[in-house]
Amino acid sequence: MRREWKTEWMKVRYRKIWLVLLGFLAMTFLWTGWVVNGGKPEEIRDGYRWILTNLAIINTIFMPTMTAMLASRLCDTEVKGNTIKLLCTMETKGRLFDMKLLTGACYLAIYMAAELGALLCLGYILGFGEPLKLRHALCFLIQNFLVSLVILIFQQVLSFYFENQIMPLAAGLFGSFAGLFSWFLPKGILHRVLIWGYYCLLSFLGSYWEEETRIMYFYDVPLDRTALYSLLVLLVLGYLAGKYLFLRKEI
Amino acid sequence: MKFIVETRGLGKEYGKKAVVRDLDLKVPKACVYGFMGPNGAGKSTTMKMLLGLIKSSSGEVTVDGKVMNGKNRIEILKGTGSLIESPSYYGHLSGRENLEIVKTLKQVPEQEIDQVLKLVRMERQQDKKVREYSLGMKQRLGLAQALLGHPKLLLLDEPTNGLDPAGIQEMRELICQLPEKMGITVLVSSHLLSEMDQMADYVGIIHHGQLIFQDKLEALHEHSQSGLLIRAMNQTAALEILQRENISCTVRQEGIELSKLPDDRLASLVVRLVQGGAGLYRIEEQQKSLEDIFLSLTGRRSSL
Repeated sequence: MRREWKTEWMKVRYRKIWLVLLGFLAMTFLWTGWVVNGGKPEEIRDGYRWILTNLAIINTIFMPTMTAMLASRLCDTEVKGNTIKLLCTMETKGRLFDMKLLTGACYLAIYMAAELGALLCLGYILGFGEPLKLRHALCFLIQNFLVSLVILIFQQVLSFYFENQIMPLAAGLFGSFAGLFSWFLPKGILHRVLIWGYYCLLSFLGSYWEEETRIMYFYDVPLDRTALYSLLVLLVLGYLAGKYLFLRKEI
Repeated sequence: MKFIVETRGLGKEYGKKAVVRDLDLKVPKACVYGFMGPNGAGKSTTMKMLLGLIKSSSGEVTVDGKVMNGKNRIEILKGTGSLIESPSYYGHLSGRENLEIVKTLKQVPEQEIDQVLKLVRMERQQDKKVREYSLGMKQRLGLAQALLGHPKLLLLDEPTNGLDPAGIQEMRELICQLPEKMGITVLVSSHLLSEMDQMADYVGIIHHGQLIFQDKLEALHEHSQSGLLIRAMNQTAALEILQRENISCTVRQEGIELSKLPDDRLASLVVRLVQGGAGLYRIEEQQKSLEDIFLSLTGRRSSL
């Protein structure tokens, strides 16, 4: 397994995947910075809740597109170079699928860690009143990493399936819009069926607007466990179905 | 005779359409085995089945005495190299970096990269990005990838496709030297008969998914049944003499065709034709080309 894992990292040399992640991270924190810029002292005091609430929506918009680009950058080298038929004489097709997914998951994990790191930096610079709670950090990872991981499986299958990467990228853009709309629609079956709706379903913070003071207040919301369990089921089913489709595809 | 590749009743069906039927391939060790057939005959499908890249609908594949199955496939394929259809490469990496990936997967020492680069004469282009390579160079890189790990068996599917004449010649030379120099068995497919004539020791001909011939190249040439073609100024006189001599012949546009005769009989026939006023000006021996043999075996004249 180590040799296959090693080759995945050899393949991504010069692919500038870091640049894609850095670009999205920069956009995310430019947006966040713009939000924070007009913040009132009360909001700054509860800064982490404030930023995490905003990050949930920003990530819903950016993550599906970024995940589509990530999967595409990882898989199109194999598709363009007709390498699958060569690789599958040296490693099993299933192992190739797994290693590719693991590489993508690593990038996602690094991106999540970078977001959390940037968030802490922002908190330090602006002097947020309260420290980042462990619950918030964990829920943030569940909300963003787990959902993006399921999306990554979906995108990886598409990127392997289509020679032209426009289709998987279009699916990523569709996901961004679907995710965004899910925040403005009443939570229902559509949220559970469409994977991009899980960013909204797994939100762990709520807010209310006090008209008199014109201040936004934030509060903790219990994590929707049913949504979490159905996401885990989707993760397993998505992985099995994706791998099955990849294995079935003739070289 | 020991065979490095043997198939028994190998078949592949897509829906109701049989692409390969009941194929019994026998590839002897340390030779160049030419796998011929027109486009769409089932060559690539067979090659892919030999590598386990596609699942066969029936039959079995034995490589170096081991029956291939899902469990031992990768283990068996460690001793093989392949170049199927177009070359496989990572365009954003250099030739050497591409070989390093294959080296890591095959778990072979670094020095082998230099050896195969030398063998395919690519030492000077090894650091160039593969996307900047010509098709010929990509094919050579594909061959280098296949040669890593000292394989016993090399499967090359139409390796000269798209190459210029110099590239074809070079690839051919490379392939021909492999059995002798490195003891490698090369199973090479092509629809170019002239190419096989120059490369192969053994040939197998596939047509409509069925193996219609399999033997040494010489055995295929024996099918050629060479004949004689006589050209005379006075064809009527020549035909009368041939009739008197009891020699069956066929009149063609280019002359009178007769089957091969023993040398003494031919000598006396020439004397008679000259003395009989036939105005004999040419006798030529006709040998069927490999293409003619192929066409007579497959019974078709198109799509070669």
